Amino acid sequence: MSSVFTPAKLIVTLLALPALIIPAFALGYIVYQGSSVISWQFLTSSDALDGFGNSSGILGQLTGSLLLALGGCLIATPIALGAGLFYQLQANPRQRKLLESVLYLLQAIPPIVYGLFGLVLFVHLLAWGVSLLTGMLILAIVVLPALTLNTITSLQRIAPEYSEAARALGLSDSALVGRVWLRHARLELITGQLLAMARALSETAPILFTATVFSGVVWPESLLSPVTTLQTHIFYLAQEGGNPLAIQVAWGSALVLVASVALFSLLARKLKSIGEQ
Amino acid sequence: MLRLWLNTATLLCAASLLLIVTFLLYASSPIFAAQGLNFVVEQEWYPYEALFGLLPVLVGSLLSVGVAIALALPLGVAAALFNLEIIPKAAQSWLRLLMELMAGIPSVVYGLLGLWLLVPLLESQLNLLTGRTLFTAALLLAIMALPTIMVLSEDALRRVSREQRENAVTLGLNWWQQVCRILLPQAWPGIRLATLLALGRALGETVAVMLVVGSIDRIPEPFYNLLLPAQTFTSRIGREMGEAEIDSLHWAALMSSGLALMLISLIVVAPSLFWRSK
Amino acid sequence: MSTEAIHLHPPQTDEIAPGTLTVRDLHLQKEGKVILHNIDLNLPASGITTLIGPSGAGKSSLLRCINQLEKNWQGDVTLHHKNLCHWPGGDEQLRRHIGLIAQKPCVFPTSIFRNVVFGIQGFWRRRHAQHIAEHALRKAALWDEVKERLDSPASALSLGQQQRLCIARALAIQPRLLMLDEPTASLDPRSKQLIEHALLELAENIPLLLVTHDLQQAQRLGGHTNFMCDGKIIEKNISHVFFTQPQRVESKEFLRWSSCDCN
Repeated sequence: MSSVFTPAKLIVTLLALPALIIPAFALGYIVYQGSSVISWQFLTSSDALDGFGNSSGILGQLTGSLLLALGGCLIATPIALGAGLFYQLQANPRQRKLLESVLYLLQAIPPIVYGLFGLVLFVHLLAWGVSLLTGMLILAIVVLPALTLNTITSLQRIAPEYSEAARALGLSDSALVGRVWLRHARLELITGQLLAMARALSETAPILFTATVFSGVVWPESLLSPVTTLQTHIFYLAQEGGNPLAIQVAWGSALVLVASVALFSLLARKLKSIGEQ
Repeated sequence: MLRLWLNTATLLCAASLLLIVTFLLYASSPIFAAQGLNFVVEQEWYPYEALFGLLPVLVGSLLSVGVAIALALPLGVAAALFNLEIIPKAAQSWLRLLMELMAGIPSVVYGLLGLWLLVPLLESQLNLLTGRTLFTAALLLAIMALPTIMVLSEDALRRVSREQRENAVTLGLNWWQQVCRILLPQAWPGIRLATLLALGRALGETVAVMLVVGSIDRIPEPFYNLLLPAQTFTSRIGREMGEAEIDSLHWAALMSSGLALMLISLIVVAPSLFWRSK
Repeated sequence: MSTEAIHLHPPQTDEIAPGTLTVRDLHLQKEGKVILHNIDLNLPASGITTLIGPSGAGKSSLLRCINQLEKNWQGDVTLHHKNLCHWPGGDEQLRRHIGLIAQKPCVFPTSIFRNVVFGIQGFWRRRHAQHIAEHALRKAALWDEVKERLDSPASALSLGQQQRLCIARALAIQPRLLMLDEPTASLDPRSKQLIEHALLELAENIPLLLVTHDLQQAQRLGGHTNFMCDGKIIEKNISHVFFTQPQRVESKEFLRWSSCDCN
């Protein structure tokens, strides 16, 4: 790498500047705007108790986001794991190709379409209405392709020698999976889970009219009642142009959301680097 | 027992794809029955008069995404080159971390930023009646696509072997020639894939676009005037999802918009499937 | 065993005309370890000079210093009376003067023809690329085998052919000095023979600096031989004199056992 700064390098640097400055600025702005409203009370009280005008705590939204994301990931996990194991254990090359294609196609479908699908099937046809359960299922479908692909790559990373040695000892398929594969791949699998959580926390469109209401919920009464989430809270508040408190709360919620997503992403990154040692 | 689990899981995956297509088709069939395929090229969207044109959102989506990617691709690749080549090694991982964090910011937060920073900015700087325009949406989409393109392009550039690079150096090629004749050509498949991925995501982006695009279901006049409010597939679906009466023609039209969006997204991603299998 | 390098002055013959490549007192240190120490080397205006010695002696490092792939060395190196560190036009121009062939052939993922002309710069030279390519391929003893398929991918060639392609590629930019780092080490005997033959012909016009592990090859190619061990030049002489009457104990040991204990 030459250390001489040529005109070509200057041009590349200039072109690269927007890509570097804008993100830093955006992050900084979010922190700047959001931090003025963050407090312990903000995080642990709920605006549902006194009505939005009087208190502005986001506890209900926080719990709603986490419940939806957790639920979605938990529902998707056994399916992702199963499909991934199918791929690695008993699929022939044609089936593998097919499964791969299905997964990539599913991944390409915009989340709002999943929202529409959920609206038709869960909210209306099955008459679950706008509910936590609907939201969890929709989010499960959203994270399913990525989770499955992650499972597949994690399993493929296991050196074939381990499997051969286990088979030579007479281990059955279940034992092979349980005692060798899942043990060896557990770090990557957990990383995938964390990334799925980060993804589920970020999704807004698919849960907007299928799982959430604007306010009034701290802890959902049942699986069939709606929740409030950080994502949708920000969405509604952003459009309350006339109310400065609303905008402030929106920024605060944004900061909390970004921090939560970043938490899961950074954890995943850390795990990944541990795994690579 | 194991087999049962594995087979069921896989079938569920495959089935979900079929289910989605089926249900969308089923839910949008009323409008096909009522209007045939005419509504695809119909220009008006006015549900109260049973006008369900897809053309405005088609133009809106394609234009906004096209401009967004046209902006994000060169800037993103330049940033990747910058991180790889120009800044010292110690700073590289920090920049990369910043980019990965940016890639993880939820789109609704981008929407917030767009609405409260970008829209006023454009209004004041360009003297517009309203800052909610197709261009705003395109700009926001470009900002959202940048981290993805940068991170994936950087990965692709890093994969070019050192040997190839060194052989070019030995022949006396300067930095720019190495970039143009070795690095970029050999990283192109990866960059191409990254672009397609970003394109797909931009097409499907809903909340951020909803907040800044203006939501006017008209093709801008002239169609390339990006500084007017307009509408995209995702924004329309997002806005009217909560309003459309179930099982009405409006409802079916909305479903058909969803179907169209899904088809376009699948067509966009199809080349990458083909490339991956090579 | 003391390792003060005794600089044997090569016998005065017409063959040595210093001024082509002159290395004086070259030192190279990396991460605290001394790689090259006190290197003095003179190349004649044409002919093959070989560098032999055990692994880790620093032979490859020396080559990389000369074309500035390695930059943190101290010393005085001149090529055609111009100092390497102050070469007009910088490192890029220097490298177009010096060709380097690596042990493992590395062809670019493009056609044979485009590989050969890859290093050719300048619009007017590109117009004559066809002629330059043919000339270079002939000198590398590859023309007859590829003339019918210049547009086919270079990766389809055999290893020996790829190495000759690398040589042609280096020759296409008309270097005044060619350095080769174990060019035939991973090749079959026939390719080895072809390349050695090509090198002997090339050496009639430009100086070649060849690193090799193969003592028989060093003997076959004649010219001058420098024996390096542990970062120093232990002995240098005209090849046939070196191989028949080595002066230093270390040289004798190396020629006998192919290993040397220079510490």
